[in-house]
Amino acid sequence: MTTSQPTISTNQTPAGNAMIELTNVGKAYRTDTIETLALQKMNLTVPSGEFLSIMGPSGCGKSTLLNIMGLIDEPSEGTVSLAGQRIEGYNGNAIARFRNEQLGFIFQSFHLINDLSVVDNVELPLLYRRMSGSERKRLSLEALARVGLSNRATHFPNQLSGGQKQRVAIARAIVGKPNIILADEPTGNLDSHMGDEIMDILLKLNEELGTTIVMVTHDERMAKKTHRLVRLSDGERVS
Amino acid sequence: MFSHLLKLMWNKRRANSLLFLEILLAFIVLFGVLGFCFFNLDRYNSPLGFEYENTWQVELDIPDDLDSTGNHQLQESILREIGSLPDVEDVAFLGPVTPFGGSTWRSGGEHNGQNISAMIMFPDEHYAETAKLNIREGRWFVAEDRIAKTATMVVNKAFLERYGSPGGSLIDTIMVYNGIDRKIIGITSDFKYHSNFARNEPLVFLFDRYLDEAEDPLEYLTVRVTPSAPASLEEDIYKRVALLTKSPDVTINRLANERVQANQPITIPMTIMVIISGFLLINIALGLFGVLFTQINRRRSEIGLRKAMGATGGEVTRQFILETLIVTLGGLLIGTFFAIQVPLLDLLPIDDKFFYWGILGSIVIILTIVMICALIPSRLASRLHPADVLHEG
Ligand SMILES: Nc1ncnc2c1ncn2[C@@H]1O[C@H](COP(=O)(O)OP(=O)(O)O)[C@@H](O)[C@H]1O
Ligand SMILES: [Mg+2]
Repeated sequence: MTTSQPTISTNQTPAGNAMIELTNVGKAYRTDTIETLALQKMNLTVPSGEFLSIMGPSGCGKSTLLNIMGLIDEPSEGTVSLAGQRIEGYNGNAIARFRNEQLGFIFQSFHLINDLSVVDNVELPLLYRRMSGSERKRLSLEALARVGLSNRATHFPNQLSGGQKQRVAIARAIVGKPNIILADEPTGNLDSHMGDEIMDILLKLNEELGTTIVMVTHDERMAKKTHRLVRLSDGERVS
Repeated sequence: MFSHLLKLMWNKRRANSLLFLEILLAFIVLFGVLGFCFFNLDRYNSPLGFEYENTWQVELDIPDDLDSTGNHQLQESILREIGSLPDVEDVAFLGPVTPFGGSTWRSGGEHNGQNISAMIMFPDEHYAETAKLNIREGRWFVAEDRIAKTATMVVNKAFLERYGSPGGSLIDTIMVYNGIDRKIIGITSDFKYHSNFARNEPLVFLFDRYLDEAEDPLEYLTVRVTPSAPASLEEDIYKRVALLTKSPDVTINRLANERVQANQPITIPMTIMVIISGFLLINIALGLFGVLFTQINRRRSEIGLRKAMGATGGEVTRQFILETLIVTLGGLLIGTFFAIQVPLLDLLPIDDKFFYWGILGSIVIILTIVMICALIPSRLASRLHPADVLHEG
């Protein structure tokens, strides 16, 4: 397969292809009084299969960068290409579909839905796909097994520890077999032991499934385990 | 998606119970009100069967010392005198039972072994013309019926339907009614006189009041006037009647006003009920609005999350509408379960169809309101940007 447009079933894109490509991306937030430049002249290419970490002081634009890669925020300037496709028109259903099939998100504060059981939380991305209920359930349990939480499927989020919650969030991010996982400080709310657990799972995903991962972190130790580190300062790349 | 939302709503059942109860309560109230309205509107739909516009009813006092011939002569002169006034179109006498008067006479009889029960009115031979009764079969009374060998009577359609054989006619049938043999000479269309909301029941017009000296004379005059009749006509009628009866006891009422008053025991509670349930529905609507807006505010991160996971705006809108619908349908289902017991167990002596209409009407009204109220907040939710709501320090 040499196509640059990966499908859901085969997430092994040829190594070396650019999975994420940002060209001259800038982002300005305008409020009534001030304009904040959260990101400027950002050029960044993430090859398929890479595990990239991003570091930088608070407020330097890391989350903004991740949101732009994840197509949940629109750049003020510049272009974004994902899996070989240049992204245009941020409000259509096609973007939603693309997010659903290509992207998985992991957040610092987990963002689980407390009124849904663990397995129902995990199947969330699959709800926006044409699929039978039993197939959804099967894939969700499979994803839970991958993060070692099979025995917690019917629990509710408030019955879980922080590390377990983040593992549920990872299962949710991978259940749709996306090509890209974007993790915004996934270990930020966890102690170092749980943080290591989460990091091990992400490393294994990257290794075994070849999933491209971009992770924002404050922890040099975590960053050292990834393929490459990009540092930001005041919305600009400094390395 | 539906079963997912069903699960979500079930897990949030505590939070949803208030809305559920509100819907249930609204349904029960609305069911009662609509049942009451449908029942009465159905009765309203069956026509009175007589003219009440431009029709005045004159209550007069015939002197007690007259014999039946004297009565008759006095009544004839009253008819002549009032009938000759300009702007008076028709005049007739009527017995103590009058349209919208509130009183009922009932008597029984027997025909082919079947017991007969019907209301009675005592009109004269001019009444059908004056009140514009519709005679569907046979004829109205004529003066000669007074001295006929067999007493006569005219019945209404409800009488025919109750006591006639299906498809057959009752004309010329002789039956015992109110004590003597009587021949049915005419059948009117629908006729009821208590109010528009009265039941359509068997009624018999009897013509023999003059014959029995023990009975009181007919003391109500029905006067149909032209639409342009001046107010002074009332004065003229009063003077002439008072002069002829040698009694100032003359009261003139307009039947159109009497009708409105006779309907009030139903129209007033019906209006109050409709207003109260209207407010109830507005309350529900506002409550729903509030609940949905706060829910959506509290669930901003969930909405952002779902959008980040690939939900389109339309899917988010649909989710919130479906969620509201699930709770609403829950309330309606339980409500219907209770409401349907009324016809199933025959709790009230009313035709079942009104309860089914009430259930159907309540469901339609509540669903419509809920859908309208759910649409706006749900559309709002669908416009949230995931980056804004998922933003973390
Ligand atoms: N929605 C927003 N509106 C206005 N300013 C924002 C918004 N999101 C982020 N910013 C600003 O952009 C800058 C970068 O934010 P962010 O990307 O969240 O930083 P980081 O994740 O590195 O801490 C900050 O100055 C922040 O205040
Ligand atoms: Mg951040």
